Amino acid sequence: MNIWDSLIITPFINTLLFIYNLIGQNFGVAIILFTLLIRLITHPLMVKQIKGAQAMQDLQKNEKWLKVQEKYKGDKEKLAQEQMALYKELGINPFSSCLPTLIQLPIIFGLYQAVIYAMATTPIDLLNLIRHIYPALLKVETLIPLNNRFLWMDLSQPERLNIPGLEFGIPVMVIIVVLTTYIQGKLTQPANPNPKDQTAAMGSMMNLYMPLFMGYLAYTLASGLALYFVASNLVGIAQYAMLGKVNWANVFPFLKKKDVKAGKGKK
Amino acid sequence: MNKRKTTLIFTLILATVLLTSCSAGLSGSSWPGISTNGDTFYVANLAHVYAIRATDGSMIWRYPEKASRTMYFAAPVLVENQLIAGDYQKILHSLNPTTGAENWSFQANGPWIASPLVANDTIFAPNGDGSLYALDLNGNLKWKFAATRALWSQPVGNGDTVYQASMDKTIYAVDMATGELKWSKDLGGAVIYSPTLSTDGTLYVATLARELIAVNTADGEILWRRKFTESLWSQPAIHEDTLFFGDLSGKAYGVSRTDGADIWTQSLTEPVTGRPTVTEESVVFATENGNLVALSFTGERLWSKTIEGKLYNGPVQFDDKLLIGIALGDSPLKLVTTAGQDVWTFIPPK
Repeated sequence: MNIWDSLIITPFINTLLFIYNLIGQNFGVAIILFTLLIRLITHPLMVKQIKGAQAMQDLQKNEKWLKVQEKYKGDKEKLAQEQMALYKELGINPFSSCLPTLIQLPIIFGLYQAVIYAMATTPIDLLNLIRHIYPALLKVETLIPLNNRFLWMDLSQPERLNIPGLEFGIPVMVIIVVLTTYIQGKLTQPANPNPKDQTAAMGSMMNLYMPLFMGYLAYTLASGLALYFVASNLVGIAQYAMLGKVNWANVFPFLKKKDVKAGKGKK
Repeated sequence: MNKRKTTLIFTLILATVLLTSCSAGLSGSSWPGISTNGDTFYVANLAHVYAIRATDGSMIWRYPEKASRTMYFAAPVLVENQLIAGDYQKILHSLNPTTGAENWSFQANGPWIASPLVANDTIFAPNGDGSLYALDLNGNLKWKFAATRALWSQPVGNGDTVYQASMDKTIYAVDMATGELKWSKDLGGAVIYSPTLSTDGTLYVATLARELIAVNTADGEILWRRKFTESLWSQPAIHEDTLFFGDLSGKAYGVSRTDGADIWTQSLTEPVTGRPTVTEESVVFATENGNLVALSFTGERLWSKTIEGKLYNGPVQFDDKLLIGIALGDSPLKLVTTAGQDVWTFIPPK
């Protein structure tokens, strides 16, 4: 077993299966609770990331910053020096938004891989899973076979809802994954992004392509992963909402109009 | 398309490839399943079923000709003029053994992990959806018997009863003609490999609860059970009054069929998986790390051979030779003599 397995995958698998055992062997609920647990543990990192990103966004409007950009636009080296000086002066760490993301990445990948391991669908997959189980924590004989059924889904297989009369199954989870990914992206986007802001433009494009990308994964992979994507999206929205960083008007335009009217009234 | 858009799309495609390759995981998670009629070997491995000449290891045909997302986990079974092979995409195929053309197909609700048993002109096919399907030789459903969890092991039968071990920790005795349950027995642990049926009507089965259990086929009564300290990922093989199998700690056992007591043990130092192969003068064990170890019937080491790749089942005996199915190796198939010398190696054409 390598370091990645020992430090990330194995503890994650055991936590997931421990939750599964604790709640009466329901793998769907275990995935949801496990996702929630990991997101809670990484919440402080997320807060730091959001604060760092906000500080960088505010910096774009700072007069000193704009002056420096204008003054040294032909001298990259000098511009970098002045920017560093400004970061120091304003107490901003330019890595404060990306560092927490980098720390979260292995955790997210670990969570993703742990879910895959736990949904062992072939004998060799099961052999590999059993080798990851801590015997002091979990008993293989009571744990295996895992109950992969959740609602209408077999979590180890791609999901399709078969309706009598229809010759094809409807990929309900794919639709939910696409919708929740899109909504999460829109809600966490700044309300009135600067059209010249490259980061905002990149964010808009991500909001368009990311739901399709996640939808493709949900369509082709086991529905346990689709369930994880949905849980992760919903928990993400809740986290942003708790931090007051959700822009509801991006999804519900009528809220925007009300704001404008309210603003006019105040004037 | 501007540069930023191209970079974003490229990143997403890269992420898709990475994530799907992480999760699909099926490409290497099986071992070749083998059957033979003496002249030809039929091998299910990854995306194809192959027909291979026994004399020189050359390919006669493969099905399907072009690889798709379909994977084959279950060893194909030869019956009269057809070869029955189930795939991971829920379809059981009947192929012409001479040409590889498809005769008929049957769709279940789950993947086919285990091979079917063919007896009394009926195909008894266990499926990952938890059902044992009984089909006639034209692929028409005669009956189906539902267990509560996936069926990953090949059933065994004697005369009028088919015995199916399940992941639901139970072994079922089902009437071959009607599909009615005769008896069932809770074994206390899930079963991955098939039970072994002796001529005197006893089933020997290893479970994930680290037990080897002897069951009377007449009524499902447990004759004896023995608990082991290490996991058993094995199917016992019989030679006279001895059962041979191995465990994941690397120990090979010869135990009494009467009560499961040790006759001998031998340390092979590597995880022993699958069913050992009994030849005229030896019992050949496969280890996960790619070693084939031949022991005498009294447990003395006769010879060993290292194969590149992983071995999850014992070799298939063919005359005085052994055909080895190899997972994650350069070649999926190798023919050796019963003394361990190479005869030929099969490399699938691209």
